[in-house]
Amino acid sequence: MLHVCDPLQESCCFSLWFQFFEMALSLEEEIRRQRQQMHMTVYAQCISPNGKYLVAGNNYGTIAVFSITASLSAEANKETWKPLVSFKAYDGAIYALVSTEKFLISAGCGDIKGWAWTDVFQKNPKVSWSLSLPASSNFGAFETNALAYSTKDNVLYSGGGDCKVYAWDLESGTKKETLSGHTDYVHCVSLYNQSQQLASSAEDGSVRIWDARTSGEAVHIIEPHKHEECARPQHGKWVGCVSVDAGEEWLVCGGGPSLSLWHLRSLTPTVTFDAPNCCPQVVTFHEDSIISGGSTPFVYHWNINGDPKTKVPCTATRVFSLAVNTESESNKVLCVSGNSSLIDVYTNFGYRAFSLDFC
Amino acid sequence: MSSTTIPLKKKRRLGSKPEVEPSQISPPKDTKKLKRAQDSTSHSQESTGAYSEELEVLKRDGQQDLELHRSECANLRQIMQDIQSAKMSDADDKDEYVANKRMQASLHFVTLKKLNRLSHFRCKAARETTMAGKQRVDSLHLQLQNLLYEVMHLQKEIKKCREFKSKDEDIELVDVDTFYREAPSEIATPHSTKKDPHKQRLARLDWELEQRKRLAEKLKDCQSNTDILAREINTKEEYLDSLQPQLATILQATIPVQEYLSMPIHEIRAQHQTAKLLPRPLYILYVQASAYQEARDSSMSLKIEGDKDAVISAGSASPVIEEESDSDNEESLTQSKRRRKTVGNKLEEKRQKLLAKHPLQVIMTLKFRDGSVLTLTFSYLTSLHIVSVGVDLKLSSAAKTTTVTSDLLSPDRLLSCLHPGDTGLVSPNASNAYQFSKLGMDSMSSYIGKTGHPYRWAQWLAGLDFLPEDSEATKATTAISTSHMESTLKALRSRTRARLALTKQLTSLERNTVPVPAQSVGLFPAKIAARLTSWATITKEDFQALLFMQRSPALELAEDYQHFYLATCSRGSAILKAAVLLSVDYPRCPPHIVIGVTLTGEHNHSNDNDIRDLESELNLHYDELVTEKSHDYLLSNQLQRLLMCFDVYVETRGEGEGAEGPTEFAREKMFIRLTRGRGRSKPYKYNAQYRYFTQR
Repeated sequence: MLHVCDPLQESCCFSLWFQFFEMALSLEEEIRRQRQQMHMTVYAQCISPNGKYLVAGNNYGTIAVFSITASLSAEANKETWKPLVSFKAYDGAIYALVSTEKFLISAGCGDIKGWAWTDVFQKNPKVSWSLSLPASSNFGAFETNALAYSTKDNVLYSGGGDCKVYAWDLESGTKKETLSGHTDYVHCVSLYNQSQQLASSAEDGSVRIWDARTSGEAVHIIEPHKHEECARPQHGKWVGCVSVDAGEEWLVCGGGPSLSLWHLRSLTPTVTFDAPNCCPQVVTFHEDSIISGGSTPFVYHWNINGDPKTKVPCTATRVFSLAVNTESESNKVLCVSGNSSLIDVYTNFGYRAFSLDFC
Repeated sequence: MSSTTIPLKKKRRLGSKPEVEPSQISPPKDTKKLKRAQDSTSHSQESTGAYSEELEVLKRDGQQDLELHRSECANLRQIMQDIQSAKMSDADDKDEYVANKRMQASLHFVTLKKLNRLSHFRCKAARETTMAGKQRVDSLHLQLQNLLYEVMHLQKEIKKCREFKSKDEDIELVDVDTFYREAPSEIATPHSTKKDPHKQRLARLDWELEQRKRLAEKLKDCQSNTDILAREINTKEEYLDSLQPQLATILQATIPVQEYLSMPIHEIRAQHQTAKLLPRPLYILYVQASAYQEARDSSMSLKIEGDKDAVISAGSASPVIEEESDSDNEESLTQSKRRRKTVGNKLEEKRQKLLAKHPLQVIMTLKFRDGSVLTLTFSYLTSLHIVSVGVDLKLSSAAKTTTVTSDLLSPDRLLSCLHPGDTGLVSPNASNAYQFSKLGMDSMSSYIGKTGHPYRWAQWLAGLDFLPEDSEATKATTAISTSHMESTLKALRSRTRARLALTKQLTSLERNTVPVPAQSVGLFPAKIAARLTSWATITKEDFQALLFMQRSPALELAEDYQHFYLATCSRGSAILKAAVLLSVDYPRCPPHIVIGVTLTGEHNHSNDNDIRDLESELNLHYDELVTEKSHDYLLSNQLQRLLMCFDVYVETRGEGEGAEGPTEFAREKMFIRLTRGRGRSKPYKYNAQYRYFTQR
């Protein structure tokens, strides 16, 4: 059961508390806060199951919950664009957030942590459970860069610094499978084919396709930097993002190499999306188009045939996360975050409506 | 009787005739008999004379006489008629008849005459009786009048008596119960007075008198007592007055001893004496500062300087602003040229007066460990009601040898913004703006040279607190001064210390060496390949115009009173330019550094996330660079870290570019991972213990 509070009232309470908090800060703390905001990066976002809230995690390990309904309402102002609640979840950065029916799952520098939505909405977030990565190097723990959740069999897939992809059974809280084969750290994982197959992209320049049910070798390996049409040696070979369309026919990936569309059955690149100087960090299929963001202050919308649809400017100079609210039709927005404390919100996808302030 | 009534009369006649007829006929007969009887009496009385007739009148009845007169007259008329009728008739015996009748008539006349006389008498008698009655009435009336008058007089007397007031009624007496309780029985005599209210009152009055006499006696006693006491006080005062010169001479005599023992008791006393002449704000400042000096800070010293006599001659130096009517100013515009000149002089005088300082000043001297001395001269501007500070910093010989190129230590800038926004150029007293504009002067800032800086902390030390809205309540209070003294003095010291250290660092930086303090050496690797190649002071405009500054949030931080520098570092073909924004509140507010790198293209925070990470390494994680002792050397530590991170930046860049042949930048440092996380961040963090670099 979800506890849903009145978002407006919540934001009011919060802003009052926040003002009090701000006044109590000394000069030194105020300077620190200001500089933290100036150098903030929001790596991860996700939408709550009811589609009313946006959760974001930043490089300081803070998770903030924003009310989408309140910020879209007619009375919205600067205060409603601030977090309803924010809490420190990690000492290091948060790289990934996913949402299940009952839990908000976060990952970054440290364990994978589950937070019950009910606790989060009651502004009393506490760790419901946590999963520890099996191995750690001598020089500190590995980070988790990507999460994917399979609703069908309640399995969580995570990929990170130790070059492996793990499958976690959330029912028992144990590690089910280990998918190893990457030679450098994993950037992104993506599930498809009713969660039976998994694509992962890594710093080593490869995209690997796995059978999600077994822990064998990778079924296929794609190496974009070895294909002339998308290779860009000056940006490196790393692949930062991967995504597969709903029809399970097309795979899109990019990073150092250009963003490119691959035909899954023949494993050949068909289209290259040409965006100079942009190293894609995040890509997603939405309806019949592809939305991507990367190392330029723009969000790109592409047609599946490779033609650019639009190029929409955003606040962050490097985009790390795109979140489309598909849970609630009335709150259907695109949220874009990156190396800025502001999270841009697009209501009609072509024009930036306002920015949420992660402070 | 009328003929119409005949029938009625006839009837009546029938019944009454026999009665009426005889009565009508008989009276003449009766009268005849009466007359005869009267005649006989009157005849008998004639012999007694006139008096008898008067008496007769008294005896007779007037009414009968009237009847008699009438009957006589009727008889007479009858006789006349008989005579006439006889004369008319031609009877023979008429003469005789007439003679008879004449005789009868004469008798009747006699009777008439008698009646006439009688009536005259009667009339006279009546008049006399009326007269007598009238006289009696008069006398009675007079008597009545007299009696009425007497009654009135008596009533008046009674009223006068009733209204009489006795003096004893005004006297407030003790009430009856108290009287019987307190008064002795010889005065009270209850057995007699209890029943008689008059006696009781008298007794009470007696008792009152007795009491008053006693009180008067007492008063006299007391007065004599006070006289005695006053005399005693007088003598004692005289004695005390004579004591003062004696003490002064004794004190004078002790001066050589004091000098010998080097105890400047007398001097301090003299200072305290002078302190009494200080205006209230400076007095509070002096008292509080000297209290602080005794309790906490012995390296601080206080002095009062100025023209003591000027204050004494000015009497109670109460700062009264001359209220000048506006019409005066308007007048001056319309006056002739010559007059205008004099008015101009007058205006100038007024301006001078507005900026006038109190003749006495408090001088505070703070000594620093390296030998530098900070002298603060506090003056009170009597018309503006504010305290201004003159700043003077004497550098120690060690510090002097360094070439000071910046204005960091200039008296004008040294203590600026000790509290946020307190530039010391604007008067904290809002009402001053009006005083200035009235005399056609500019704002306070153009007269700072004359007055000194009216820093807000100086007002606090002097117990003045100007709220932004309420400028009227400028009564200096000690509480304000007490609460700010320690923090302000600490701030003054740390500011000056920081500035001295900063000047040293800047001098060193201008020689292109980063002066890393000994305590912080361990924070950095021993070998850093990048070098500082130049260090320059730039203006705010230059700072904002820098190419890599564009779109930087740091632009909003730039203020006029801050300091801006441009550092250039290089390693081989890579050139790094760092714009340093140094806040006046350094090191409380750490320097903010913005970076641009030229290496196969321009790199800055907006097109290269690694540069942004580098900036946050410097600007956000400065606390790792601050150790207790090296606090003031934060800038140097930041620049050293900048050089280190610049090394990391160029050394890790080659990866992923195909790495054809030897790269320009040999990897000299130990990196665990070149990139990490979604942001592919670089290993800027140095682990000093194991000497490797890792991601934050």
